[in-house]
Amino acid sequence: MKTIKILAIDREEIILKSIKKALTGYSNTDYSVTVCNTALDGLKLIRSDTFDLVFLDLVLPGLNGAEVLRRIKNIYPLIPVIVMSGFTSGMNFNLSEKGNSVNETLNNAAGFLLKPFTTEEIRSIVSRTLAIRIGN
Amino acid sequence: MSLFEKLKYISISSRISILLGIIILLTMGAFSTFSLLKQKEDAIISISNNTGQLSQTIEKILRVSMLKNQRDDISLAVNNIVGSEDIKSIKILNHDGSIKFSSIHSEINKNISQSRQLCVSCHIKNDKKIKANIKNFKHFRIDNKNNLIYNSLPIYNSASCYNGVCHSPEQLAFNKREKSETNSASLSPHDSSQTILGFIEIEVSIKKIISDLEKTRTQLIFLTILFALIASIITYFSIRYLIGKPVKNLVDGTLRVARGDFNHEIPPGKAELGVLSESFNKMQKQLMTTQSQLIESEKLASVGKLADEVANEINNPLTGIIIYCESLMNEADITDVKRSDYEIVRQEALKIRGSIRNILSLTRQKKPDFIVTDISSIIRHAISVIEKFSNFRNIQIITGLPKTLPKVSADPDLIEQVFLNLLLNSSESMPAGGIVNIISSYLSDEKEIEIAFTDTGKEIPSGVLQKILDPTNNSNLEDFEKIGISLTVCKDIIEMHKGKIIINSSGIGTSVIIKLPL
Repeated sequence: MKTIKILAIDREEIILKSIKKALTGYSNTDYSVTVCNTALDGLKLIRSDTFDLVFLDLVLPGLNGAEVLRRIKNIYPLIPVIVMSGFTSGMNFNLSEKGNSVNETLNNAAGFLLKPFTTEEIRSIVSRTLAIRIGN
Repeated sequence: MSLFEKLKYISISSRISILLGIIILLTMGAFSTFSLLKQKEDAIISISNNTGQLSQTIEKILRVSMLKNQRDDISLAVNNIVGSEDIKSIKILNHDGSIKFSSIHSEINKNISQSRQLCVSCHIKNDKKIKANIKNFKHFRIDNKNNLIYNSLPIYNSASCYNGVCHSPEQLAFNKREKSETNSASLSPHDSSQTILGFIEIEVSIKKIISDLEKTRTQLIFLTILFALIASIITYFSIRYLIGKPVKNLVDGTLRVARGDFNHEIPPGKAELGVLSESFNKMQKQLMTTQSQLIESEKLASVGKLADEVANEINNPLTGIIIYCESLMNEADITDVKRSDYEIVRQEALKIRGSIRNILSLTRQKKPDFIVTDISSIIRHAISVIEKFSNFRNIQIITGLPKTLPKVSADPDLIEQVFLNLLLNSSESMPAGGIVNIISSYLSDEKEIEIAFTDTGKEIPSGVLQKILDPTNNSNLEDFEKIGISLTVCKDIIEMHKGKIIINSSGIGTSVIIKLPL
């Protein structure tokens, strides 16, 4: 089975460790997880390497999540990006607040992962997203 | 405080009253002075006329005696006339200025000086020559200092004078006697060349009239002052009542508002000030409302900010705890007792997750902005947003959303949130795929819009449904935490719109019925 390369971009060390643990700590799947904690590093990595999936935190130092997402899509339009957020609970989309940028984010993202997540939740969203990819 | 600053604080009422008092004093004062002067003038003219007429009458009467040369009679008459009608003195003088008859005995045979006004009106000073035009021979003059009027009537020469027409025997006898005794040429009848033989001068006192006028003037002044005072006082109190007090209330009110105290209504003023005080009170109420609104939204903003920070600080470490716990559980042997210990830790961590999400969802609610909305279009928009998500890969969404549904008064963003939540919940409950059915309709009897939302997903345990009704219920339902919390939020939103939400779940799926009033 071909190794699935996953990139995780988050400010918090523990989140990166948890993603790695949840995806690579179990024997039945072949994921390789690369981590970085700034948007710039992430963009650099995307340019230099090929990934099958990206986890992106919406709150990164410097650029805001929506902007990073747009840039990722510019480089590699077909890459699925799952956005992560700790802000909202129960999927409260405050549409009135950010207007277009939220809609844009929703359009560009392949999925939405709410923090904190369980092992099951993250593995499930990875397999669902990749299933679509494979399907396509 | 300097005098100037003190002056600033003199109230409106005082200023207007003082001004009014001054105006009254000045106008009435001017008026009375003018009026009195006119009266005096008129009085003097009237007296002068009377005096003139009196002189003429006296002259006519005395002429007879003068023609008869009855000197005693003339003296008697002169003495008797004085004393009546304020006539102070009468004198008869000849053209040379010699006083022949007078009520003042000492004056007789004395001369008046030729520089006197009487002489100078016709003659050039100290000369017998007559001036160019003698039209303005003053018959009377006024001595203002002593309150006297002098009337000088010229006695004109006539034929009967210089001819000595009266041939009375007494006259002839008298003439004879006089001629022999004094041998004076001046006793002859008058010279025909003389125009004016002499003058009758009457001195009239106008003291009484003047003093009467003075009395009237004093009375008027007193009345003026009294009137000015009364008018001022009345004005002062009226203005204070009508304007001063309401203005003071307004000033106090504005000072209070400046201090931040919006709570006291000011008592209403009169007339236009009543309108002003009313609008002031309204403004106060508005300020109070605005202030509390600002405080509310500031609170919300700060709570929101706090919530964001808390979320971040807690959610990230919590992720670590959950994931590593699960990893430990995975690595431990199935028989290992440690597994159950790890499970306990994991459960507690998930409880924290649930609590945090609950609290955050409560603080996140924005204030609804009700506008006229079409429910069908909102649902369609929500679907368009969410169906791209990978969760919806195997899910079929069937809709029955008529375009002609009556509109409701709702906050479109909040309503969209409800539907997004419902759609997500459905997708989570059918990871392998399923059907979501959304139908909206209008119930004319109850005047409500009904939206029926059904899916073919996993059953939601009754415990979760209970939790939706009572969010503080702490039962352990980890997988459905998310759904439970988001459904509580939906319930809150629908209730804010004065609607109802009914959730049923069974083995074949879940149905959510939402009713919204028009």
